[in-house]
Amino acid sequence: MGIQITQDLEENIRNFEEMFQDCADIKRRRIRVGAQGGRECYIAYIEVALSSVDWTDSAVGKFLQTLRGMPEGELVEYVKKNVGGISDAKPFGALEEAAQGMLTGDTLIFLEGYDKALKIPDKGYPGRGVYETESEKVIRGSNEGFSESVKLNTALIRKRLRSPNVKVKESFAGRRTHTNVDLVYMKDLIYPEVLEEVEKRLGAFEIDGTLDSGIIEQLTEERKYSPFPQFQTTQRPDRAAMAILEGRVVMLSDNSPVALIFPATYNTFIQTSDDYYSRWEIASFTRVLRYLASFLAMVFPGVYLAMTNFHTQILPTDLLLSLAAARQGVPFPALVEVLIMELAFELLREAGVRLPGANGNTIGIVGGLIIGQAAVDANIVSPIVVIVVALTALCSFAVPNEEFATAFRILKFMFIFLCGWMGFFGFLVGLLGVLIHLSHLESFGIPYLSPFVGADLSGYQDERDTFLRLPLKFLKKRPIYTREGARTRLKLKKQGKG
Amino acid sequence: MFADNWKISLRQVRRLLILDIFGLSSLMMPGALSSLTGADGIFCLLFGMAGGCVLLLCMGANLKRAKEDYYHYMTGTVGQFLGDFFMVFYFLYFIILCGFVLYQITTLVLSWMLPEGPFWGVGILLLLLAAYGTIRGIEGRARIYEILFWFLGIPLLVMLFLAIQKVDSDRWAPIVYSSGEGILQGSLSFSVFLLPLTGILFLKPFCQNGQKLASCARTALVSVTLLDGVIYLILLGVFGSNTMGVLKRPAITLMSMVNLPGGFFTRQDVVMISVWFFALFALLHTGVFQSSLILKELFHEPKGGWSLLVTVILAFAISAAFFRNQILEEAYEIYQKWIALPGMLLISLFLLLVYWFRFGNKWIKKGEGR
Repeated sequence: MGIQITQDLEENIRNFEEMFQDCADIKRRRIRVGAQGGRECYIAYIEVALSSVDWTDSAVGKFLQTLRGMPEGELVEYVKKNVGGISDAKPFGALEEAAQGMLTGDTLIFLEGYDKALKIPDKGYPGRGVYETESEKVIRGSNEGFSESVKLNTALIRKRLRSPNVKVKESFAGRRTHTNVDLVYMKDLIYPEVLEEVEKRLGAFEIDGTLDSGIIEQLTEERKYSPFPQFQTTQRPDRAAMAILEGRVVMLSDNSPVALIFPATYNTFIQTSDDYYSRWEIASFTRVLRYLASFLAMVFPGVYLAMTNFHTQILPTDLLLSLAAARQGVPFPALVEVLIMELAFELLREAGVRLPGANGNTIGIVGGLIIGQAAVDANIVSPIVVIVVALTALCSFAVPNEEFATAFRILKFMFIFLCGWMGFFGFLVGLLGVLIHLSHLESFGIPYLSPFVGADLSGYQDERDTFLRLPLKFLKKRPIYTREGARTRLKLKKQGKG
Repeated sequence: MFADNWKISLRQVRRLLILDIFGLSSLMMPGALSSLTGADGIFCLLFGMAGGCVLLLCMGANLKRAKEDYYHYMTGTVGQFLGDFFMVFYFLYFIILCGFVLYQITTLVLSWMLPEGPFWGVGILLLLLAAYGTIRGIEGRARIYEILFWFLGIPLLVMLFLAIQKVDSDRWAPIVYSSGEGILQGSLSFSVFLLPLTGILFLKPFCQNGQKLASCARTALVSVTLLDGVIYLILLGVFGSNTMGVLKRPAITLMSMVNLPGGFFTRQDVVMISVWFFALFALLHTGVFQSSLILKELFHEPKGGWSLLVTVILAFAISAAFFRNQILEEAYEIYQKWIALPGMLLISLFLLLVYWFRFGNKWIKKGEGR
C-alpha cells in the first residue's frame, strides 16, 4: 500500500511536493475554485505537456472554468459523479498511481475535500507526429510512418483496421521508465498461445528502462545468439495492419517508431508492402531478386575468393586471364584485398549513417567514387574486387528489412574467411552451417524457413506467396500464423457476364 | 507451440530417405555394377530394389505391431537380453556406416575440392556440423533436407538432361550377357546401399503418421532406383562398361564433361559435387542421429549428450581407420553383404515369428500395435 490521497488538500500537497522535490520541470499551482472562490485546488503537470490553463483552450482550462462557476457545496459531488464531464479523466486513490498518471504526460488535479486525484489528459509530451518513413520506401501505397507515441501508432493501425476484433493489450516495461507496450492483434485470427507466450516472455524480465522496442526485442527473443532476427520490424502502419490481418501480433513500444511483428519467417522479411499493391508479375520478379540478393549479400565475396584462388577451372580462360591481369601489382593476397575493401565499405556505411543527411550522402560519393578509384590507381586493390564489394553492398541494400540484412552482412565475413581458407569446401560448410541453424530457428513456434519447410501444414497454400507472388485471386487463404478455421481471406463472388 | 512437437511429416521422411540412399548408391554403384555385369547392371538395380521391398515388407509388418518405439517393441517381444542384443546390432551397423560415409565424403572433398587439406580437419568439421544438426532434434534435421531436396534435385536433373546428348546407345549392348552369379552379386551390392532405410524402424515416435513409414520408404526406394537407373544408363552410354568399370566415381567425372549452354562456366564438377556432398552429409547426419538415438535408448540417457559425444568419437575413429587402411573397404563390403543385410532381414523375420507365436494377431486392430 502506498500513500493514500485524503480529503485534506494540504496533506496531499505536502506528500506530492515531497515526492517531486527538486523536479523543476513539474509545474504546480494552487487555484481557487467555486462561485465565491471559497475552495482551493492544486494542479500539477509536466511543463510542456499541458497546452494552456486558459479557460477556453484546453480540457483542463475548461474543467477549471466549470469549477469556478459552481457553488462550493456542489463541487466535490460534481467531480465524484461524472469526473468533471471529461471522458478521458480518471480518478486515482493512491498518490503513486496518480503521480505515474501525471508522468505519462497528463495533468493532475487535487481538490479540497475530495479524496482522489483527477488525471486529465491534454496534449501530452511533445512528439514528431506522423511523418514519412525513412526506411521501407514503397513505390505504391501509403507513405505514413509510425512515430514515437504509442497511442498515435495504435491509432494509425486502428485507422486501417476498423474492426472491433482488433484488440490492444496494454502493459508496461521498465521499472523506472514505465514504458507503454501495446500488443495489437485481431482476436479471431490469432493463436492464443502466441499471445500467452509473448506475455510470458514480457513478464520474464525486469529492467531499469526500455527506451526502444529494440531492447524488448532482444530480451524476448528465443535464440539470443542467432544473427537472424526473430521479430520482424516495421515503421509502416500498413505493413503492421497487413500482419495483423494475417493473424500475427504487433508489439508497439512507446518512444519507438519501430513496431515488432511476430511470428516472423525468412519469407516475411523478404516481403514488402507494395508486393501486394503492385501487379503480381512485377511483385514476383522483385521478390525473386530479393531472395537472390539475400543469398548473394552473404556469399558473393566468398564465392569470388573460392573461384579465383581454388577452383579456377570453373571459369573460362579469357575471364581468368583478365582477372589475373587486373590483380597484377596488387601487393596483398586476394583474401586481404577483399577484407580491406569490405571493411572500408562498412566504415563508409557507418560514417554515412552517423553524419547528418547531406554530409552522409557526400561521404557515400567521396568514399565510393574517389577513394575507390584512388585505391585502384594506387594498386592497393584490383578493380574486380571493387566491383564484387559494390555488388555485394547493392544486394544487401535490396533486402527490405535492415535487421535481416545485417545478419547477411555479418555472415558475409564468415564466408570470406571460410572460402579464403578452404575454397568451395568452405563455402559448402558455411552454407550447411547456416542452413542447419536456420532449420532449427523458430519464431513463436513457426519454423523460420516456413513455408519452404512444413508446407503441408498449410495445405501447400502458403507456397503461393514465396518466391513468386501469385495473382491475388489465388491467395485465398491466410498464412499458417492464422488460427485454423479462420484462414479464408478472399471469397470471389460469381458474377454474370456483361 | 505449433512446430515443437518433435514430429516430422511423411513428406520430410521421404525426402530424407531419398537423399540418404541416393548419395552413396549413385556415387559408388555404377562403377561396381559395370565391372560386375556391364549393361546388365540395370537388372541388378531392379532385383536389388525387389530385395529392398522384401526387407521393407518385413520392417513394415514389425512397425505395424510396434505401438511405441521399436526398442520397446523388441524387448516386449523377445525379452530384454535379445532386444538389447538387436539394438547393439543396429548400433554397430549405423556407427560403422557413419565412419564409412565420413571417410567417403572426406575423400571426395580431398580429391576434388581441397587436395592438400588434412583428413582430420575436414572430418572433424563435418562431424561437428552433423552433431550440431543432431543436437536440436529431428525436426530441424528433417527441415534441412526438405529444403535441400529441390535445390539439389533440379541442377542434377538439368545436368543429366544435358548429358543425354553425349550418350551412345550402342554402349547399352550387349544385354542379358552376364552370368547369373554376376547379376546376383550386383543385386546384393545394390541392396546393401538400401540398408539405411532401416532407419525408419526408429522413426515411428517422431513421425506424424508412423503407420505409413514403410510405404513412404518404399516410395523413396522406387524413386532412387529409377534415378540410379537413369544415371547408370547415361554413364554406360557415355563411358561404356569397360571405362566405367575402372572409374571410381563416374558420376562426378561425367559432371566435369557436361557443358552448360552459353559456355560461361567451363567445368561444373566442383559445383555439382555439392549434390553428392549434401546427399552424403545427409547420410552421415542420419548415421549420427540413429547411432546416438540407439545409444541413448540402450543406456536410458535422458538428454543424449554423452551418446552423441561417444557417437562422434567412434565415427571419427572408424573413418580414420578406413582412411589409413583401405583394405577395410573390402572388409566393410563383406560385412554389409554377409552380416548386416542378412542380419537385418533375420531380425525382422525373427521378431515377426516370435510375435505371432506369443501374441497371434489379437492386438492388431486398425493399424494399432501392441
